[in-house]
Amino acid sequence: MSLRNAVAHRNLLYLLTLKELRTRYRKSVLGWTWSLLNPLSQMLIFSFLFLVVFKAEPPIGDPSGLQAFPLYFLAGLLPFQFFSISVTTAMGVVEGNASLIKKVSFPHEHLVWSVVLAQVITLLIEIAVLAIALLLAGSMVLPWLVVVLPLIGLLMLFTTGLALALSAANVFFRDINYLWGIAAQLLFYASPIIYTPDVIDIDALRWFTSWGPTGAFVRAFHEVLYDNRMPSPERWGLLVVYSVGLFAFGSWFFGRLSPKFAEEM
Amino acid sequence: MSAEHATTALTVDGVSKTFKVHQERANSLKQYLAARGRNRYEEFYALRDVSFEVRDGEAFGVIGHNGSGKSTLLKCMAGILQPNTGSVTVHRRMSALLELGAGFHPELSGRDNVFLNAAILGMSRPEIARRFDQIVDFSGLEQFIDTPVKTYSSGMYVRLAFAVAINVDPEMLLIDEILAVGDIAFQQKCMEKFAQFREEGRTLVLVTHDMGSIRNFCDRAIWLDHGNVAGEGSPTELVDLYTESMLSEDDSEPAADGARRGSGEIKVDRVEMIVGDQPTLRVQTGDTVTFRLHYSTSEPVKTPVFAVEIGRLGAATITAPSTRDAELVPDVVSGSGVLDVTMDRIALLPGPHVLHTEVTDFGRQHNYDHIQNALRFDVIAGDSNEVNGLVTTRPQWSLEQRG
Repeated sequence: MSLRNAVAHRNLLYLLTLKELRTRYRKSVLGWTWSLLNPLSQMLIFSFLFLVVFKAEPPIGDPSGLQAFPLYFLAGLLPFQFFSISVTTAMGVVEGNASLIKKVSFPHEHLVWSVVLAQVITLLIEIAVLAIALLLAGSMVLPWLVVVLPLIGLLMLFTTGLALALSAANVFFRDINYLWGIAAQLLFYASPIIYTPDVIDIDALRWFTSWGPTGAFVRAFHEVLYDNRMPSPERWGLLVVYSVGLFAFGSWFFGRLSPKFAEEM
Repeated sequence: MSAEHATTALTVDGVSKTFKVHQERANSLKQYLAARGRNRYEEFYALRDVSFEVRDGEAFGVIGHNGSGKSTLLKCMAGILQPNTGSVTVHRRMSALLELGAGFHPELSGRDNVFLNAAILGMSRPEIARRFDQIVDFSGLEQFIDTPVKTYSSGMYVRLAFAVAINVDPEMLLIDEILAVGDIAFQQKCMEKFAQFREEGRTLVLVTHDMGSIRNFCDRAIWLDHGNVAGEGSPTELVDLYTESMLSEDDSEPAADGARRGSGEIKVDRVEMIVGDQPTLRVQTGDTVTFRLHYSTSEPVKTPVFAVEIGRLGAATITAPSTRDAELVPDVVSGSGVLDVTMDRIALLPGPHVLHTEVTDFGRQHNYDHIQNALRFDVIAGDSNEVNGLVTTRPQWSLEQRG
């Protein structure tokens, strides 16, 4: 339903996405550079902590043979950040367009979709920059970029699903916004971005970090970009289940609640 | 499409809409959980079993006072609110003008906003591209179209927004109030556009409390009162009924609330308005009206002048005739009596009116008695369809077409 709607109103979707992109860095001197500076600064901070403070051993890419913590970190951080920022922004955009929702009848889910689309463009640029860094580090990552694309596609479905569900719920209870802030942090540390899953002793936790929803995505990106190998069919299967499941739920949930937005806002 | 639908643009069938009036609204999860199971709100009926049909190509009006449910009905028709029961079926491509420029982004240029706003209103990209010049031309903002709209004046802002909204090419247009935007010239343009709309056989639904635009514009109307349909029919009849009901609501405070001044040798004790031998407080344009002043004196008064002054409530004086103008000044008045002033085919146009009375000496310097608001009365529509201005001049039009 949501997908068909999106196709029917693809012009609106296109223009909302464009607006999202054009207005994102208005009034900032560095503008779009910020979308790269942010992950780079995080990379520096966590690399310092990992390599200098904790003197940990960087994971070795198998079979790429790569051993560089900053690259490992970015390969996991970029998709995770796409996910968490999209959900946060989507909630804000739905909330911020209250006047529009109250005065005009239009498919509300396009607000959420446009946020995810705008964010995915940022992600693609970031991945391109990372690919250059990987090439410079001597890893032949280019053929693997083909595998990254369907992975990004699944991540988009997954992200849109959660963004739809939470932004709809947030219209009714503004707590969702704050709860998500905490949940996003928890998920960040529960995903193997600043560590590798094998350092964890607790079985359930280790399982979650590599097979839980966000962990499974982060591991898949590690495997493709850092290790240069195809994720296992089990992982692909699980990612499809997570993405399609969450997307279906989110669309259904949003569709149920959106007719009541105008009244509630 | 069935034959019966071929002439129906929109069907509203048994629509009811309630709102929850929360004593303490659960805005957070905690309040929600705490309030669970307890009934913390009352239901308020904004619309109750409203049904009507809008036919193709007609201009349909919805009237009602503030809080009668007009806006809720419009939002239900526009698909912004969902009715609790009943249904709204739209058979035509519809565009609703509830607020101009909803969705304009201040940082984006006029051009970008035109595209975005038109897309929100449901237009496809090639359609917008095709109409873009027309939109900009209509707005008269060619020079500013590439600057961000945050630099626009509020007038420019609504002009651009209106230009987009009116050019989205709907088969049916819902309008909340006739939008008074821009200067006279721009309003003229808007009116022409609406007229063109009607000529092209498109459907208009107009929601307003301005009786003038309902009469001028609509073929048919409904009257909403406290969420119920109180009447449906020709706008002229309905507007009269509506106006009467509005007036009867404040019949409780009819006459003199007026301040009185003057030396008091002669006083106006009572003022009546008489139409067709009956005292009344309501008169139709074109009626013959008599104002009857009951006066009394405390001592004989030489050459007093009586005057009445009629004005629209809260506005200018319309007329102020006196017995001196009429060269009817008695040498002396004593005791008590009645003075009638009769006006044939009264030219006042509908609205609330007031009458002040004044008794002075012949030179009109000394005031014996002056009563501000001695009488409040209402004029309702009669033999004239005019709605603008204070009086009708009973104009005779003639048109001679050459060639």
